[in-house]
Amino acid sequence: MKWKRYTTVMLAASMSIGTVACSGSDNDKGSSAQPSASAGANASPSEAPKKYKITALDYRYGNPPPSSSQGLTMINERFNVDYQVTFVTNTAYDEKINAVFASGEIPDMVGFMAADLKNRYSKFAKQNAFLPLDDYIKQYPTLQAVPDFIWDALRVNGKIYAIPQYAPKYQVVLMVRKDWLDKLNLKPPTNYQELKEVAIAFTKNDPDGNGKNDTYGIAIGQDINPNLNMGPYWDPDAWYHKNDKGDLIPGIIGPGRKEIVQMLADLNKEGAITKDYATLNWADTNKEFYSGKAGIFIATPRGMSQDYMNGLLKIHPNAQFIHLEPFVDAYGNKGLTSAAGFNGLTVLSAKLANEPDKVKRILDMIDFGRKFYKESEKNDKNPDFDWWSGKVGVAYDMKDGVAVNRENWANDGLAPSTYFVDNAAWPPEDGDIDYSLTYQTKPLSDLVKAIQNMYKTTKLYANPVNSAESKTDIEKGAELRKYVMNEQVKMIAGNRPVSDWDKLVQEYLDKGGAKIIEEYNAQFKNKDTKALFK
Amino acid sequence: MKRSTWADRLFDGVNITLLLIISLAMIFPFLYLFSVSFSSYEDFLSSDLLLWPSNWTTDAYEFIWKSWAFRNSLMITVMVTVVGTAVNLFFTATMAYALSRRILGRRVLMFMVVFTMLFYAGMIPTYLMVKATGLLDSMWALILPAAIAPFNLIVMRSFFQSIPEELNEAALIDGANDLQIFGKIILPLSKPSLAAFSLFYAVSHWNNYFAPILYLNSPEKWTIQVILRQIVIVGEATATLSGDNTFVDNPPPPETIQMAAILLATLPILVVYPFLQKHFAKGVMLGAVKG
Repeated sequence: MKWKRYTTVMLAASMSIGTVACSGSDNDKGSSAQPSASAGANASPSEAPKKYKITALDYRYGNPPPSSSQGLTMINERFNVDYQVTFVTNTAYDEKINAVFASGEIPDMVGFMAADLKNRYSKFAKQNAFLPLDDYIKQYPTLQAVPDFIWDALRVNGKIYAIPQYAPKYQVVLMVRKDWLDKLNLKPPTNYQELKEVAIAFTKNDPDGNGKNDTYGIAIGQDINPNLNMGPYWDPDAWYHKNDKGDLIPGIIGPGRKEIVQMLADLNKEGAITKDYATLNWADTNKEFYSGKAGIFIATPRGMSQDYMNGLLKIHPNAQFIHLEPFVDAYGNKGLTSAAGFNGLTVLSAKLANEPDKVKRILDMIDFGRKFYKESEKNDKNPDFDWWSGKVGVAYDMKDGVAVNRENWANDGLAPSTYFVDNAAWPPEDGDIDYSLTYQTKPLSDLVKAIQNMYKTTKLYANPVNSAESKTDIEKGAELRKYVMNEQVKMIAGNRPVSDWDKLVQEYLDKGGAKIIEEYNAQFKNKDTKALFK
Repeated sequence: MKRSTWADRLFDGVNITLLLIISLAMIFPFLYLFSVSFSSYEDFLSSDLLLWPSNWTTDAYEFIWKSWAFRNSLMITVMVTVVGTAVNLFFTATMAYALSRRILGRRVLMFMVVFTMLFYAGMIPTYLMVKATGLLDSMWALILPAAIAPFNLIVMRSFFQSIPEELNEAALIDGANDLQIFGKIILPLSKPSLAAFSLFYAVSHWNNYFAPILYLNSPEKWTIQVILRQIVIVGEATATLSGDNTFVDNPPPPETIQMAAILLATLPILVVYPFLQKHFAKGVMLGAVKG
């Protein structure tokens, strides 16, 4: 029924100018009947007499909370505001943002995804759509807690226009079925040669002992995902290798990537990786591992699926998992690429510039939402935590000294935390947040704990590309990457020899890669890769 | 009835086989959806292809039914579809009828209609228009901007034109005015076409995803497609080219739940289909042949 697309307002308008008027323009803005903040009764952090209307636009994964609820009422009373937040599904946020910004009415607060950093955020910031925040950073503890390298990544023409939302610097690491290793008397691999041997053994030696030939090595899906890197040397997104001019180049055309492509091509011949790896989507790639077919996949502290894990443990109750330590690379370094360290951005509208009191009120709210609670403070004794979580006995209960959210707390919008654009606490150190507590399945939370412990002693490579910008990369980068990726998929399948590698690198350079490398390198201050390990 | 020859029977046999294969290909995805949605998650994981649930369970449905957003969006969508289709039919039929008569400025109006079929103003101007008319965040934003589909209008108009002029004249002699002719003669004769168009319109309202995303701000007003996409796509969108390998904030729900959601969202419109199906064949031919 595509022709519906052609219908336009013009037609409707030419036809039904009358009807719009007749329909009584049902412009009901949602029943946000505001309980007027009862004066004085609230111990609000900002004792200001004036009530501000604050608008916000943000995205949400999963179900959105309702637009009138206990959580919202609590926010309005505490901060003496009329807080009107619009949530859009993450899958449609792009279109919505474009339309809203084009209409010229930018809400007071807007949430951006991390992926917006180099295109949309910097584009709008250059057009002065946002409020510069440099002067406020010193005034708020949770903003001071942000390390300088992240602020630097957010600068546009030298000014900061966004507040980063916390995410740990954890990347993903390989995880292996330990019960299979034990059964075959194998040690956890420490380099790609050993990983290859383990993958082949998982394919040929019946690691689950059921007498059937129904297992294989590595679960992998389209776009060579996961990329299997155990250090920046092999990471396609890290700028770590140098060309003969001494310029840094992207990992996707580096020697580490070649090593992995070669390994996957060899394993593909042995049937030791997912058969239809070229077309499998991410959810199905996960299924290859969590259905007990593949023995090697990836894990990370934040963002694991407990449903998947429970499914696997029902099929294989004795399954055990270990993660791998980073591999030592050819330069003698050992570590992992650091993730950006934030996962979203909050920007304020430039229109707020002439309302300093309102800006202060908004930043008070943001600051409160980013407040970090130690494990010992996460209980009903802590008034701030109690308020943030929607009051004990209403939105959460204390069980064995741990705050447990009630089942409907998010769906019914019982807690203020649900409605904050930035509701991620900013901890002093990555290790201060224990993600293993978010999983109830023991093998999973043990695995996550082990990975977190490994990170405490692992050096992280600060990817220089995170705080640089290249015009050509924004224009052509994604397309170019897709091209190289497809060629590498062909190499793994055996449709193009891996000996063509240098030719492929040249193709990348000729199609605009050389310009991307040049533009980025002009901005890199520090090209001493050893020093970028911290 | 002629006795069928050997060749005829062969022809029929080949026909039936082909059509069976095609209809199986249509039915198969639904059977798969159905089976997975009634299976437990580990059954789904451990089998390569589920064509019939081995252990029946309604867990997935119970899970979905608990979510107010899903229930609510289903009601909203039914409402938008019913009201929207009524509005569509009313305006399409009245305008098509007017354009099928020799009225002043008919050619200009027709040109305007055809023009919109070929040229689309674009997302942002449309959004600004909806905003300026004060329809943002209301159900009418999904209904009024698309009140008339030009293609449907043109087909309906040629259908009205195919109704013999003599009927019209006879009614005029009996002293009927235009409205009476339209209401008592033209509309009753047009039942098949109206049924076909109500199906076209209803399906497009039911499947509308983009307009609610753009025009509605409160989650209470979201339609089923928005919620459905959220349930089904969230797990797909994570494996992007950005090298982001985790389910960032929200691991996707198990496939059993996804399939149950798709089934629930498709069911209502599937149920309507058979009742309108018989008019459908006529509808396709509308205005194509006089006779």
